Amino acid sequence: MDSIRRTLLGQLARLSAGAALIPLASVARAAINRQPPRREGDSSKRYGMLIDLRQCIGCQACTVSCHIENAAPLGSFRTTVSQYEVEHEETGEMATFMLPRLCNHCEDPPCVPVCPVEATFQRQDGIVVVDSDRCVGCAYCVNACPYDARFINERTQTADKCTFCAHRLEAGLLPACVESCVGGARIIGDMRDPSSQISRMIDEHRDALMVLQPEKNTLPQVFYLGMDERFVTRPLAEPVALEVLDPNGKEMGYEFCH
Amino acid sequence: MNSAIELLAPRYDIAWYPWAVQYFFLIALSYATLWLAAPALVFGKPTWLPTARLALLACLSTTLVAPVALLADLHQPLRFWHFYAYSNTHSWMSVGSLILPLYVVGVVVTAWLAWRPALQANRQAPGFAGLIARWLSLGDSPTPRALLVLVGLGTLVLSTGIMLYTGAEVAIVKARPLWHTGWLPPMFVATGFIAAAGLLMVLNRVSGLHNLSVTRQMLKVMLGACLVAGLVAISWFLDGINAHVGSVVAAMESVRGSAEWRSTALWGGLTGVALLGAVLYLLTRPAAHRPALYAWTWVVGLVALHVGWMFRWVVLMDVQTVARHSAGFHHYGIPAGSSGILGIVGTFGLWLTAILLVELFVPWRQARQGGSVAEASPAPPAATHTAVENTANNIEGAPRHG
Repeated sequence: MDSIRRTLLGQLARLSAGAALIPLASVARAAINRQPPRREGDSSKRYGMLIDLRQCIGCQACTVSCHIENAAPLGSFRTTVSQYEVEHEETGEMATFMLPRLCNHCEDPPCVPVCPVEATFQRQDGIVVVDSDRCVGCAYCVNACPYDARFINERTQTADKCTFCAHRLEAGLLPACVESCVGGARIIGDMRDPSSQISRMIDEHRDALMVLQPEKNTLPQVFYLGMDERFVTRPLAEPVALEVLDPNGKEMGYEFCH
Repeated sequence: MNSAIELLAPRYDIAWYPWAVQYFFLIALSYATLWLAAPALVFGKPTWLPTARLALLACLSTTLVAPVALLADLHQPLRFWHFYAYSNTHSWMSVGSLILPLYVVGVVVTAWLAWRPALQANRQAPGFAGLIARWLSLGDSPTPRALLVLVGLGTLVLSTGIMLYTGAEVAIVKARPLWHTGWLPPMFVATGFIAAAGLLMVLNRVSGLHNLSVTRQMLKVMLGACLVAGLVAISWFLDGINAHVGSVVAAMESVRGSAEWRSTALWGGLTGVALLGAVLYLLTRPAAHRPALYAWTWVVGLVALHVGWMFRWVVLMDVQTVARHSAGFHHYGIPAGSSGILGIVGTFGLWLTAILLVELFVPWRQARQGGSVAEASPAPPAATHTAVENTANNIEGAPRHG
């Protein structure tokens, strides 16, 4: 269908029933689902992370150290490194693309206003945390995060996520993933301090930095250097890890269909 | 363009379990049946009284069971009091947690007011039924019709709050593009009315009432709801067809990328068209053919219930299997335990129990539009087992069950 006709059809749809319903939806959006005030944390700081993909070798040391530091249950991850095999269509050249993922501690985090009991909140230093004593485990935040950064911890039955290792930052230590990164690809710091390494690197590489899913308007505060824009949104990749089940339906392992 | 293969990505589990489907299904039946009871109970239309009796039974039973399913979907159900200790206005779920209890109380009081004259008439019944009637009717004082109208109107207002919050709660989630559309809340309501009309057709059969006017009214309601649902679906599609991001694009991608989504879309479309066709056929038959044909409308009712339930299953469960930042689709197999099959069967079992308890102890077949004891016909000993006022419309003279 040509684009003019499609535009016309779209406008027709908006004019018809849309006129009755859309104002109601926008009124509701304006009043509810706003960010609650930030609380706790040091308001003079704003933590962020810069991931220099040129230094990442996909060793998963960050994944493992985070898992140990934060005692996440097996199979659930606060951070992980996605890996893609990319083939150049003309030359057939193969390359591996590594994409470390974690909570983006967004400036406008969609997971926070949805919480019905304010168990998850954003600290004044920008870190998004969960009060697991208050969390009712409704999993609304898990669905609201576009980055799959949250999960329900099967042991605590509450929402769990990356905290930038706030407990370590407060003790003057680096987060486990940063500490263990072999190539020094993860840089964390206070973006309000102009002399911090992250501030200097953001200044230096401002035009080359990318964030994940910018179209969601969450304003992520984890910046990627050396990023390929085709991986910013959901990648057009083929998932190849297929579960192999035994005759009783139990999982035996994975296989690749290629 | 290069081709890429995702070598390594974690498995992401779904966060909302089938309990959520059960809640959305039962609460939709609840508010829709309340509106189907309203013409007679609140607005005093006598031709709708048989429908209102069935609708009230459906409404009360679903309203009592729906919050149980909702509570079960929390991973920490015993912390439900946190909703009130830390309530706030910026979360749709929190807004809903304030509306829902008020609505439940509203429905219970409405049903009690509507059933009270019949309960009072049943006070002399022997055995347990009389005891329950004496206890539940709370004295011989008259039940002012104005009170029923007032409480009924208030509950209708609260029910619009339920429609709004259940829809908005899902539609604001921009992380799941398939949910993030203003067309989702009206579609929830439309499919809710389709399922509710279907439920009353089924109840009309299994309760032995076999009331032709109920069937005809429900066919008309279903026709209206089907047309609204069709209009919403077409508008949603046309609205998004030329966009680059959004709900329709995500749906098209899913349908292109997955055979399961293709068969879901095909099944949904075919069922919807078949249902609309059946309703149109039944409504346009000459009056002489109706009794024989309308005896089978319970089958249409079951299909309508299937449409209402499956829509919620696809929206709430299947959409969670569409990966958000990794490639492809997550695998989801329904577990056998309480977060899966057992939960689904258990919720329906609880619902059946609620219906049977009302059937056993409340003379709902004699429910009136408020009024005093004198208005209600005195119930014979087996009051709950006689369809007094519907014999004129009955096809086979009200055969009994139980």
